[in-house]
Amino acid sequence: MKPLRIALTKGRLEKDTVDLFEKMGLDCSAVREKGRKLILPVGSGEIEAVLAKAADVITYVEHGVCDLGVVGKDTILEHGTGFYEILDLGFGKCKFALAGPKGKDFFSGYATKTIATKYPNVARTYFEGKGMDVRIIKIEGSVELAPLLGLSDAIVDIVETGSTLKANGLEVIDEVTPISARLIANVASLKLRKAEIESLIARMEEAKKISQEK
Amino acid sequence: MKKYCNITPEGTRDLLFEECIAHRNVEHMLAAVFESRGFQEVITPGLEFFDVFSLECAGIPQESMYKLTDHKGRLLVLRPDSTLPIARMTATRLQNEGKPLRLYYTQTVYRNNPSLMGRSDEVMQTGIELLGASGKRADLEVMVTAIEALSRCVPDFRMELGHAGFFRSLANQLPISDEIREDIRLSIESKNYSALDTILDRLEQTPEVLAIRRLPRLFGGEEVLQQAAELCPSEDTMRTLDYLKELYLALREMGLGEKLIIDLGLVQRNDYYSDIVFSGYVEGSGDAVLTGGRYDHLLEAFGAPMPAVGFGINVDALTKLMLESGNVQTRKPADVLVHGDDGFEMKALKHSAFLLKGGLRCENSVFTDRQEALQYARKKRIPRVDYVSDHIETVSVWEKGGKG
Repeated sequence: MKPLRIALTKGRLEKDTVDLFEKMGLDCSAVREKGRKLILPVGSGEIEAVLAKAADVITYVEHGVCDLGVVGKDTILEHGTGFYEILDLGFGKCKFALAGPKGKDFFSGYATKTIATKYPNVARTYFEGKGMDVRIIKIEGSVELAPLLGLSDAIVDIVETGSTLKANGLEVIDEVTPISARLIANVASLKLRKAEIESLIARMEEAKKISQEK
Repeated sequence: MKKYCNITPEGTRDLLFEECIAHRNVEHMLAAVFESRGFQEVITPGLEFFDVFSLECAGIPQESMYKLTDHKGRLLVLRPDSTLPIARMTATRLQNEGKPLRLYYTQTVYRNNPSLMGRSDEVMQTGIELLGASGKRADLEVMVTAIEALSRCVPDFRMELGHAGFFRSLANQLPISDEIREDIRLSIESKNYSALDTILDRLEQTPEVLAIRRLPRLFGGEEVLQQAAELCPSEDTMRTLDYLKELYLALREMGLGEKLIIDLGLVQRNDYYSDIVFSGYVEGSGDAVLTGGRYDHLLEAFGAPMPAVGFGINVDALTKLMLESGNVQTRKPADVLVHGDDGFEMKALKHSAFLLKGGLRCENSVFTDRQEALQYARKKRIPRVDYVSDHIETVSVWEKGGKG
């Protein structure tokens, strides 16, 4: 039987997922001491972990070359939905927020506002929902700079503690949506390998509950 | 100015040699399945008016259609779907024909996908539509044909069966707006349990809400129907579940076993599906290769109400699997290369016509001298060369090859 292939978002989500796997009693030594390898066995060979950048996790799962994936809700909101989103893993929590210069009323006036963001789709959906026309500028690096330099009126970005905002004289204007890590599954895989995937999900849910109770 | 004369647009590609063979094999195999069951082929235009596909129930987002205008400025699209044009055609040109109508098609559909996703914008689809027939017999016929079609092409598959009426009757009992209803449908379709919970938490926890909450998880074998029945024992849903059970048990008689799945969370975007819906999945393809269902109210939108059921198969996906499995015979080289010396060109063509009549496959040499013709034959692995002058000389390429 082919191993179930799960794509993990490199970095913190990967670590959190490995912690979860270990709570489930799966051997993750290969992932912990991975070196330069990108495809690694987990447990006794029934699972294979693939390490990838967040957006690529979605691409691999959508195309079915990976059966499952662990990826942040932020990436899912930005990059489409051709897959099943089957479990909120409960870690990697933060939120999307609209933030702008402190003390300024963003919603006042009739001039079209300019928004800087790394997540143009998230920003567009948010303002479409509000029925507001805005100009969106995509920024690759520190988005907080844009309002400081006068490029934009506000930003839509991921906020964890809010300390970067505070240090730069910005504040949260509105919370767009909460974010956490999700388990996603390829549409065909869930049908073709239902029993395996469902038992894995059940074990992950179990381990998640235990770690949340602590 | 950059010219794009050497490349094809993103999402399209050329098909060469064995790809064409595999493609035609799949098409012929499936067409044979349909024709042997009395389905007749139709072809609808590649260009249609936008209005055909902009019906509320079509569920095709306008940004995913390739659009252009005709000379009167009216909006046209490259056909993004085959069922809607066939419904249009049936409602107009075939409305006085005896029912039921059994139609099949093999034609490309076009979708304008977001760039750099690796998706095809041009997909060959084949499928059947059984129009003017309702009830169990028609549903079973179409599902059995779908199963037969898949088993001809691939060794293993899963066929899942659901019912659009199940979600509809649950959702109708909730005090919700159309937007929230669509959000709920989307979360069920993408099996997004957490999003679904978030929406449903805001509502009063009636038995219907609890049932919808469970909907994405309601897939598997016969036990699913039992679970669903316990969740919402209303008259409407019971009728749906009983019908699904009847179909499930009937189809299981075909010895499908594990291959047949029930998925009550199968709520497709194509809102025109009114009753049963089904999808086929195969190993090696990340998306459904077959989708279908009953659409009893679609023909009404075109002015000729009649029940109908059908499905479409993604030929490209099956072709890819066939190529990967290595089950495609590549075209063998010609049997004979016919070379005419100067002044004997017509005689050479006549000679090859004679050989062709005898069942051999012949290529004509376009070279001026015999040596070049022989080299060409060697390169193309053609075993025999016939030189035509005042007489005909046959040489075997491989014996000559030893010497030269």
